[in-house]
Amino acid sequence: MSLEIVITPEANNGKRISIAGRLDSNTAPELQQSIDNEINDSVNATIIDFKGLDFLSSAGLRVIFKAKKMMDGNGGNFLMVNLQPQIKKVFEIIKALDGMNVFKDQAEMDEYLTAMQDKVKEGE
Amino acid sequence: MTSRYLSSATNNNVDIEVKKTRSITLQNRPENAIKLADFFSDYVKTYNIPDDVYNDLRLVLEEAFINITSYAYDKSDSQTITVDLNNTAGEVSITFTDTGIAFNPLNHAVGNIETADHCEGGMGIHIIRSLTDHQRYHRVGQSNVFTVTKHYTKHNNE
Repeated sequence: MSLEIVITPEANNGKRISIAGRLDSNTAPELQQSIDNEINDSVNATIIDFKGLDFLSSAGLRVIFKAKKMMDGNGGNFLMVNLQPQIKKVFEIIKALDGMNVFKDQAEMDEYLTAMQDKVKEGE
Repeated sequence: MTSRYLSSATNNNVDIEVKKTRSITLQNRPENAIKLADFFSDYVKTYNIPDDVYNDLRLVLEEAFINITSYAYDKSDSQTITVDLNNTAGEVSITFTDTGIAFNPLNHAVGNIETADHCEGGMGIHIIRSLTDHQRYHRVGQSNVFTVTKHYTKHNNE
């Protein structure tokens, strides 16, 4: 099983990176390359959509956390959605979920994003 | 690739213990991790190992195999790694044997996973330790022998 990567634009200069298949030591460089090509200072939010991801190893985790570090450095949002149980478990093992924006599904993430936009509007 | 099957009955009246052993030998190339994953998938289907155990151990296999390909040999070498799978009485054990330089992976985990930089290495050994019940490393002659064991609850129809 290989890795499928689909990148789509989101509202307010966001990018959604949907990954499916197997994110491991052999496929992690493909995701790193896609992130390097697509995520830059002008991107306000990066959403990693794990819906189709079946397998995640430490090599894949490193790419995910590099993307998060980049977004944190740019003052952008980093969000993760649709983690399957075996994928969520890997994040739990390395105790990395605290302080991260993780949503069980699209509806929960939409609710969060709407609340964030409302806060921005209130501040304008 | 080699494969063997071993069966032994220890008590015919009450509890029959059957050892189910298979082995695969692969060259020390990272891309062979997928061959190992396929081999393990077939093994799990053959012996009805539960899905949660499968999910944990396929990650352990990946982490350990990649660790060996990364550290045990010079990159130019074309050596082999043998992986032995054994499943008996609610316990799966996996043994990795390679003839690379002496390397105890258990000495190379990150110190504190909560404060570790998750962009760096060292998480693989932490994952292996977390997903298995026992881990043991031996240097036997010119070989590294690394064994992990995981217990699970057998269902009645297994």
